[in-house]
Amino acid sequence: MDLSNVHSAAALLPRTDVPSRVPGFPFGLGASGVHELAEGSFGDMPALTGLALAASHALRPGPIIWISQRGLAREHGLLQQRQLEAFHGRERPCLFVRPCKLVDTLWAIEEAIRSSAVTAVIAEIDEADFTASRRLTLAASRHGVPLTLLMPHTREGSTAATARWRVSPLPSAVNRFDPRAPGRPRWRAVLERSRNVPYLAGHIFDLEHDHETLSLNLVSRMATRPAAPRPASGEQTQKWQRTG
Amino acid sequence: MLTEAGPKGLVVVAASAHAKMQSISPGLSFTDARARVPSLIADEHDSAADARALRQLADWLVRYSPLVALDGADGLMLEITGCDHLHGGEAEMAARLHAKLTEEGITNHIGIASTPGAASALARASSEPWTVLLDDETRSGLANLPVVTLRLTAETVTLLRRFGLTRIGQLYGIDRTALARRFASREVAEAVCLRLDQALGQRAEPLAPLRPAPDYSARLQCPEPIGTVEALEEGLKRLAQDLCRGLTNLGQGARHFCFSAFRADGTVSRAEISAARAVRDPKHVQRLFAERIMLIDPGFGIDLLLLEARRTAAMESNAVALSGDLAAQDMDDVAVAALADRITAKLGEGSVTLRVAKESYLPERAECETEFEGIWPRPTERSPALHGPRPLRLFDPPERVEALAEVPDGPPVRFVWRRVQRRIARADGPERIAPEWWHHTGPPPAASSPEGTDRRWLVPKMDPRADAGIIAKARARLEGKEECMPGSERVKSLPRARDYYRVEDVDGRRYWLFRDGLYEDGRGNPPEWYIHGVFA
Repeated sequence: MDLSNVHSAAALLPRTDVPSRVPGFPFGLGASGVHELAEGSFGDMPALTGLALAASHALRPGPIIWISQRGLAREHGLLQQRQLEAFHGRERPCLFVRPCKLVDTLWAIEEAIRSSAVTAVIAEIDEADFTASRRLTLAASRHGVPLTLLMPHTREGSTAATARWRVSPLPSAVNRFDPRAPGRPRWRAVLERSRNVPYLAGHIFDLEHDHETLSLNLVSRMATRPAAPRPASGEQTQKWQRTG
Repeated sequence: MLTEAGPKGLVVVAASAHAKMQSISPGLSFTDARARVPSLIADEHDSAADARALRQLADWLVRYSPLVALDGADGLMLEITGCDHLHGGEAEMAARLHAKLTEEGITNHIGIASTPGAASALARASSEPWTVLLDDETRSGLANLPVVTLRLTAETVTLLRRFGLTRIGQLYGIDRTALARRFASREVAEAVCLRLDQALGQRAEPLAPLRPAPDYSARLQCPEPIGTVEALEEGLKRLAQDLCRGLTNLGQGARHFCFSAFRADGTVSRAEISAARAVRDPKHVQRLFAERIMLIDPGFGIDLLLLEARRTAAMESNAVALSGDLAAQDMDDVAVAALADRITAKLGEGSVTLRVAKESYLPERAECETEFEGIWPRPTERSPALHGPRPLRLFDPPERVEALAEVPDGPPVRFVWRRVQRRIARADGPERIAPEWWHHTGPPPAASSPEGTDRRWLVPKMDPRADAGIIAKARARLEGKEECMPGSERVKSLPRARDYYRVEDVDGRRYWLFRDGLYEDGRGNPPEWYIHGVFA
């Protein structure tokens, strides 16, 4: 275990001031209202995508629509339908729209919300000013279609959205089968602003996604990563050879 | 008078009526014409502009008949079967059309006959502004017309004139075999017989209309020319209701609608929309046109509106669900299709897509993007995943990275992607994905034939012309300019096995890297590293 950056032994213990269970979490993320997910730093879009999909898995069956500005789709990669269904654990048809301009993107988002034909709208956009976010929030609340906006790390300033989360990846959980391999994905989501739970603004949630139960678990934060299982010593196990 | 550059200097291609009276006719060289009439006004002929104008006129003539075809470079053919009675009979229709075209300043001759060939001959030969030939008069009516009007080549006409055959009637009595023997080639003789038969209706001549005839259409004649968007919208509303009522009665729906506005000055402005699935809801049609109707330029006023339905299909009528909550299905296909239509109408064709699974081992081919056509792909029997983890987002094409690995067949220790160095903390793999050899043709035997040497070892091309460049290059190389090492360039394009690794860097970002090829696999250079996707 790497202890070089640990200053005191107390930092190793789970922090007690953070409740491991917060009632109401994730406060409607992916299920109602408009939630903005912003990158913690440049290149955190995969974590955002994962969190947006993981949070929306419990939606009623029906299609969702994925709207992304064209340039962003190339930069962040193409979402895979199979992975989307794996995150949702069910057949989940998804329409993809790639408008070129920001105005068209906002128009398409609003149109999708207002049509009430889709279960949820997920959109990747560069920016949205206060007026645009207000418009989308009103539409989403009137038609009851949840909207998740995936935005770059430059996203700052005021918004009319229900909440803004800042998401960054964390080193994944320990893989029980192979300590050298990545395990279940973990993300850190900071609730920057929230209209539903304003007293929790600035709260840090460390999340772990379980791909088997499709649940999004809060994990306790530790100063450093938990002890990794070490391979047993040679005397206890049979010698084995590489076969392939 | 208009001139065009011929092989021997400028040639007259068209002359005004006034010039024709002074014996200046098309085909004359410009110097001769200038010698005959020194005060001649000549200008260069712009054939492209002519074709455009003819096309525009053809578009406008759709108001008389849906089937309009081009007839040579200066004629238009209208199939008016079933249309003439709307205009008061054949003669009346010809008179009206002539008056209308003359009013627009277009010199015109109209011929109406039972075959396209006869009509074309009449229109070109007759001195009357319009001529109508009844069905049983075709043979006798054509007898006195010159053979030039039979749409033959200039050489054939010259040849016929040498035989003393100048009138169509003279061809009737001649034995076909005797006629054929006089021509040098059989094709020319065939052409003469074909054109004659077509004119007389003994052989069929299908028209090739510029725009296919619509399946259903509705038209609205405006008593006064309209010019405002509100009036256009009102007209569209009425037409949509009219057309959709007709479609409902027939149990049909259409996927493509074309709204034409015929301007009073003889031009047309059009707007088209298409739907993901057959529709016949007037409100939906109207909403789809809402973005496009701005593109219609009313010009000096519009006097006829036409709404056409194309790509029709049978459509069953469904009772409308009371509300989304009471709907039996979770998915309202009609609402989704309507949403897709509206986005398509605004953003252009093919902007709404979905991803369909394909049978392929290669990750980039395992899913492909197709246009949303109103139907979801059939839920397939999900086979248990026989492969390792797949990334959430895939880069297509994979992006090159600079990677450093400890051992040749191990995961990298660090790599540079998008100019940022990433240190790898944990890695999983490899998962080997072999190339799909059945998509590639075998390598051609080297230098056996120029057609086969430099063929990319990929999906074979069907069109030999596409390979012309490669074949030429191969020829040049075969003819002694063989300098490059045989095969050194070629093996580069061989598909190689890939080893995929799932890696996580110290910041917790998870990537899907692969090494393209193995060391010493005999397929060219040392393998390179690529990033193919990212995990959540």
